[in-house]
Amino acid sequence: MKDNKHNNIHQQKNKPGKSALESLNAAALILPGLLHSPAHAADYDEVDFQYSHYQEGRREIWVDQMFNLDGIYPAGSVVKAPNPLNPIEVESLHGSARVSLTDRVKFGFNYTQDTWGGATPIASAPVVTSAMHAFNLRGTDVLIGASPLAQAVSGKSYMDLNGNWYDIKYGGFDPIQGVELPNTPGVLSNRITHTLVSASPEIRQQGDFKLSYDWDEAAVNVGGGLSVENDYESRFGNLGLRLDFNQKRTSVNLGLSYTNSDTHATLDPYSFNFTLAGPYEAPDAQGNLLYAQQLGESIAHVYSYSPRTEGTLMIESTPSGSGRMIFDKATVTGNRQDWGTDLGLTQVLTKNAELELGLGYTHSTGYLSNPYKAVYGFDISVAPDQDLNVPLLVSGAAQIEARPNERNQITGNLGLHYYVEALDAGLHGRYKVFHDDWGITSHTFDADWVQPLGAGWSLTPNVRYYSQSAADFYAPFFTRVTVFDPNTGEEIASPLTKKMPDYYSSDQRLSGFGALSGGVTLNKQFAKGVQLQAGVEYYTHQGDLKIGGGGEQGFADYDYWTANAALKLNLGALRFKAGSADGSNIHHHAASHVLTPAGIMFNHALSHAGDMMVGYRYQRSEQAGEILHGSSPANADAIATQGCGQSECFMVPASMTMNMHMLDLMYASTDWLTLMLMPQWTDMAMTMDLIGSLNVGHHGGGGSQGIHAHQTGGIGDTGFYALFKLFEHPHHQVVLSLGGTAPTGAIDMKVRRNSRESYGNTPEETPLQYDMQLGSGTWDLKPSLTYSGAISDVAWGAQATGTKRLDRNSQHYALGDMFQGSVWGGYQLTNWLSTTVRGIYTWQDQIRGEFPARVYFDGTSTTYPETVEHLGPYSLTSNYGGRFVDLGLGVNVTVPSGTFAGNTIKFEWLQPLHTDYNGYQLDRDGALTATWGVEF
Amino acid sequence: MQSRKHLVLALSIGLCACAPVQPWERGNLAKPQMALDPHPLQSSLRGHNYGSREATAGGNAAQGGGCGCY
Repeated sequence: MKDNKHNNIHQQKNKPGKSALESLNAAALILPGLLHSPAHAADYDEVDFQYSHYQEGRREIWVDQMFNLDGIYPAGSVVKAPNPLNPIEVESLHGSARVSLTDRVKFGFNYTQDTWGGATPIASAPVVTSAMHAFNLRGTDVLIGASPLAQAVSGKSYMDLNGNWYDIKYGGFDPIQGVELPNTPGVLSNRITHTLVSASPEIRQQGDFKLSYDWDEAAVNVGGGLSVENDYESRFGNLGLRLDFNQKRTSVNLGLSYTNSDTHATLDPYSFNFTLAGPYEAPDAQGNLLYAQQLGESIAHVYSYSPRTEGTLMIESTPSGSGRMIFDKATVTGNRQDWGTDLGLTQVLTKNAELELGLGYTHSTGYLSNPYKAVYGFDISVAPDQDLNVPLLVSGAAQIEARPNERNQITGNLGLHYYVEALDAGLHGRYKVFHDDWGITSHTFDADWVQPLGAGWSLTPNVRYYSQSAADFYAPFFTRVTVFDPNTGEEIASPLTKKMPDYYSSDQRLSGFGALSGGVTLNKQFAKGVQLQAGVEYYTHQGDLKIGGGGEQGFADYDYWTANAALKLNLGALRFKAGSADGSNIHHHAASHVLTPAGIMFNHALSHAGDMMVGYRYQRSEQAGEILHGSSPANADAIATQGCGQSECFMVPASMTMNMHMLDLMYASTDWLTLMLMPQWTDMAMTMDLIGSLNVGHHGGGGSQGIHAHQTGGIGDTGFYALFKLFEHPHHQVVLSLGGTAPTGAIDMKVRRNSRESYGNTPEETPLQYDMQLGSGTWDLKPSLTYSGAISDVAWGAQATGTKRLDRNSQHYALGDMFQGSVWGGYQLTNWLSTTVRGIYTWQDQIRGEFPARVYFDGTSTTYPETVEHLGPYSLTSNYGGRFVDLGLGVNVTVPSGTFAGNTIKFEWLQPLHTDYNGYQLDRDGALTATWGVEF
Repeated sequence: MQSRKHLVLALSIGLCACAPVQPWERGNLAKPQMALDPHPLQSSLRGHNYGSREATAGGNAAQGGGCGCY
């Protein structure tokens, strides 16, 4: 909000070749009452796209080797373990539009979609406690399975009352005496390690808006939005006010915001047997799950998580299915509310300097914990007369973290913005101080240097330093001491007694640390109102970087890097085709294009060398309903026995949705050749039902870790095409498109197994089925030939397109080749509205090859059959492809005049008329295509 | 708290000591490199990363951003 004034001004100037006079005019626009230009409104109109990738570094994991090849338990074998788990990766896609509804009313909308997956720490503990679950595989000394996990730990380590830790020296069996010898403390090691858990991909989607009204020296705005994840939903609203004083030398901003968020987290079934074993000090929150499992109750218990928090922990446990599958579910639900207010001030100091000041206060209540973070509590029991100088045997367990249910935060920030005249550069320095009643104080310093390089280029290096102190209730783990009477066995009061604190967390975000990051951003402003931006940043989190020292130990250190690319279109600055009187021929072709259904691509080559077009294309397809065998519904028995080839099917898909977001960038390099680049982003969601003997009911797949639902998303395959005008006539044209897609989409998307029982109780990752992968993995040829014609208000056309996969991909398979033929007609109803109708025939072959048999992470090449637990018809490559007939019904809207003249928005719904699948597949519901495009 | 007093002091000096900058003298401040946030798209992205990795989230609570529970 506080930036609006400045952004407006700067967008005025966001063009190359600005003269001193223009600068002066722009400056005068600070007083719109004095000089108000219609262009002012138009320049607000902007459409932006941004993609970014976040990649974390691999964490160091240490383990205490439990036993070696001979089954002997050695002491002093704390070793760094190979960590095969992929670290967190996030792919983000952002689109936004800001438009002027009138000169004074502005509307902005943002859409953001993140897909993330990978391994993340859930707790930390001394290595010697063996809290890190290590696996000994197949008699080798490799210590790690697919997913190292926290586990309940008892009698695996020793601690003395000075806090030093020792591993265990097993006594072993004495063959002479014929007895087991007692274990004794082994080697001292205080090294701490994270315990990691890997997560299957998850998607977050956020939409938000802002509506503002500007007076000459004031503005108000109202905004709101929604952020949705499987396990978290957040709704928010905000109000803002800006007041300008002293001929706008001074601006005051006031903001108020409210957020209401619900947590609905499904806990990792692997964690049940330890994270719910405690906490000892809150007996109402322990033991119920295990109890319920014994009873076989379907819903164990619903109770207040603890009197300290408003969250409710609800645990459901269902009776085990037979065989491999056991479905247990524990859900943490909670609500939180955040109220925030801020007061800001910007002050023009000199003609080259501007000052920014801010104060903020946020009040949060409710369930403020992270449901996926656990805390280890280790226990020592001592008798009053016990020798406390020797290490004592430790037991312990992890439990879900508990943060206070209230948090008050204040921030103060200061920014200084200075124009460096000699270099025409902008220097921005900012400082922020933060303090809350959890005991955290932080300081943030960052600086940008924006250096214009001429010809529309600018380069911005930036550096940031952050340091925070730890929360009062943070520790990497907790220890408890109980003193008991050796005769009665009862606990007695003693100065040695140490209990768990009321609140506890081992989330490293609450630890003391410092972070240093730096990056660079490159910007290019093109003449036609198009701006490209690319940036990279590297970030390192280290305990040692904390101001004043005393940060967390090195085990918690990690780093990440991000890369982002953005495309910004200033609609006001674009030279629209519609606005240029280019003659009837072009007008005709534009009309023919406007009357083409949304689902048709590659039909339109640009008219003149130098012309450009930017478009956005969204496609959504849905499958649901019955499983078809060929064209007719198949019954469950037939699917179970025949749908998966040699094996029995355990699951069938219940629904599948796919969303694709594509950018459509076209440039006419000559009058007859148009080049086209099409990056795309894909996300998919699938739910499954159990069938056959394992059908114990549908449990709803909403949980983030649920076996019944999968999600994937990220960058898809990138298209490159060349469009040739083969034939051009006032009423007819033929366009040939040659090109294809590069395999930029991932084909190694995996799902983590989450049922409790699998091979050797080892959690593993298996590939998601073929149609949940983000790309084909192959270079694909996609030629197409399009004929289109138009006379007055009527247009028609026909198109043939094909897809040919070149070779097989790195996972040893190739998706089926495709052919599609379309015939359509379009009719112009008014000067802005038209309708289309289309008939489509599609053929797709089955998949060639298949995923290789899985190989264990230990590298011993021990192979297992593929995806046993998730085995369904989609696991079989012959259950892909088929022959389809669809009817497409579309509506097209073209803005005839005004700021948005030449913008075209199209919708088309594809209704399946006939489906003839290869093998067994889920019925089709239909598909929606929506496109926006502007030519200039 | 001490630092805040200094800020207020600095601000009052800033407000009074400079000759008023007239609207037609603000050409430099109107340049894109002098926007208070020169790269708003990118900074909201980076801010989201920091917010989900650091304890300091204040001031941005109502911008959404999800759980960041990883």
